[in-house]
Amino acid sequence: MTALNLAWRTVRRYRAQTLLAITGVAVIGALLFDMLLLSRGLLVSFADLLDRAGYDIRIVSGGGMTLRLPIPRSAEIARAVAALPEVDRVVSLRMMTAALHVNGQPRAANVTLVGVSDVGAGLWTIARGADLPDRANDASCPLVVGPQLAETFGLSPGSDVLVNAEESGVASALPPVTCRVVGIGQFAFAVPGNDDVATTLAAFHRSSGEAMSGDADLILVASRDTAGPARAAAAIQRLRPGASVYSNEDVVEQFNRSGFAYFRQISIVLSALTMVFAFLLVATLLTVSVNQRLGEIAALRAIGIGRRRIAAMLMWESALLVGVGGLLALPLGEALALGLDHILRQMPGLPEQLHFFVFERRALVIHLGLLIATAFAAAAYPMWLTARMPIAATLRREVVD
Amino acid sequence: MIVVIWLAPARAQAPAAAATHPSILVSRQLAERAHLAVGDVVTLGSDPQGSRRAEFRIAGIYEPTPDPMRFTASRIEARLHLPDLIDLVADRADPASREAASAINVRLTDAGDAAAFSFDAMARAPGVIVRPASRSRDDDPFAVLDRFHIAISAVTMIGGTAFLLALMVIRAEERRETVGILRLVGISRRTLLASVAVEGVLIAALGAVFGIGIAVASEGLVNRIFQARYDTALVFVRVTPSIALRSIVIAAPLGIIAGIAASWTLLRRDILSIIRR
Repeated sequence: MTALNLAWRTVRRYRAQTLLAITGVAVIGALLFDMLLLSRGLLVSFADLLDRAGYDIRIVSGGGMTLRLPIPRSAEIARAVAALPEVDRVVSLRMMTAALHVNGQPRAANVTLVGVSDVGAGLWTIARGADLPDRANDASCPLVVGPQLAETFGLSPGSDVLVNAEESGVASALPPVTCRVVGIGQFAFAVPGNDDVATTLAAFHRSSGEAMSGDADLILVASRDTAGPARAAAAIQRLRPGASVYSNEDVVEQFNRSGFAYFRQISIVLSALTMVFAFLLVATLLTVSVNQRLGEIAALRAIGIGRRRIAAMLMWESALLVGVGGLLALPLGEALALGLDHILRQMPGLPEQLHFFVFERRALVIHLGLLIATAFAAAAYPMWLTARMPIAATLRREVVD
Repeated sequence: MIVVIWLAPARAQAPAAAATHPSILVSRQLAERAHLAVGDVVTLGSDPQGSRRAEFRIAGIYEPTPDPMRFTASRIEARLHLPDLIDLVADRADPASREAASAINVRLTDAGDAAAFSFDAMARAPGVIVRPASRSRDDDPFAVLDRFHIAISAVTMIGGTAFLLALMVIRAEERRETVGILRLVGISRRTLLASVAVEGVLIAALGAVFGIGIAVASEGLVNRIFQARYDTALVFVRVTPSIALRSIVIAAPLGIIAGIAASWTLLRRDILSIIRR
């Protein structure tokens, strides 16, 4: 009989403790799996969100990515960057808080007005109606609004609204601009409780009272496939020395260093704790179980089953407990990740489409690797215990007891 | 909060000359990074070219108030008297810019009036945003983190319960003969279950106390590691009496349930079956 067969018979004989051990490993394994997903989830999700828009370089003012300040002479910079051979397309964005008045509504909606120089910028997905017109005439003010705002204020394509763009905390005496909703769109970086409204850059400047060539806050650049973001970013730096140019990788790296650090740390701490917990669980159960079966194991040794086979049997027992528990941990971990993700996404100020737990093959490989190491480590002490067990004395003690 | 944009290297000056400069405070982190000491004279500028700059004397070095929202940020800060800062950054062509402040902090006589005060102030000064400094549970990120930690604790507890239950099952099986003999001499199931329940409570409570001991012992180490990592005085882990009590209160019933459930599988059988006859 092989060591695997012996192990299988043992786990079947002690069904209750086997089931409980597997349950324990599955629950702890699920937590371990989730911590591995959390260790990079926010980064992966954030990078995906950045890439989804189709732009791989960002040009911002000297204030960096966190202090979003207008970029002086941005229209001129955008034109120069667009002419670079490494660059495919360029879009300028200007953002400002705005008050949106809807006929028949007692109060205005406070929104973030986003002016874009290029329609179809990829920053939103149209759910109803149309996108911003390609060549909006100077007098028109087309708007794309988020679904939440549309629902709250009963807006639909064709609705007319009044818009006043004004810096936060600054009272504006400018008359509002009449705008027309052309589409309802899902914004990639929409934050719950903060409604985004997009329009053309020309309409934006008209509603804010800025000059037509007013400064943009952000210039998004898509590099050509043949050049790639690194070469394009270097070309922009050569063109404008001192300009704050970030590739998506730079932005993610900056995010990794600052905003994401807490979750990376907590995931490392909890992964280590769950590993220790899983090791203790399986090692204790196996040790107690071996102590309980010392007479049985001595008898097996007495009828000629070698030390190696007994050790292999214990190894298989550990592998069965950890293996089955570890496999069950995957669907359980996915379900648990949904719940934990739901809790963390309630954090204020986070984009709706950002997730904390994102599946990666790397996490799965690490999870399996850690569980295999746990199975080996947990079986080590019981294996040592049985290897140095005196057969005759153990059998005698069992009979006398 | 004032962010200094440009800092020239410190230079030594005669005490009398240094005393004429306006004084500033610098954060411990800035002092360490720029090798500054109390009494040094530094030049602050409002732009990278240093076209507008002024000299200040460092009057003190302060530890920034720990802010959980900014613990990953390097606290490279200096504090100036407001008139000095206005002299440094105000637009000379715009006299109104000397009247501008980024924020005004107000301490109310009664903190409970914050909502009414902000409503009233915004009505009196249109365009000004007035917000209570304290957060509600809905917009507090730490309330979300609290829920996340509770959820993780619950999952860990479920895993721990399965662990405890498996151990109790093994222990019950180990004592099969003893239980059979006790039943034969007339000790009732109820008495045996009660003894197992007491044992479960003791194991769970001792485990919880041991866990609290480990937490208390490692509290300082964890705090020191994170404080060094983020260069902050923020306390990351604190084992409070209420947390310790909560652990014991949750662990004890779990011990009872695990003990009784594990023993019941043995005790529900008839006596002969227990002694394998």
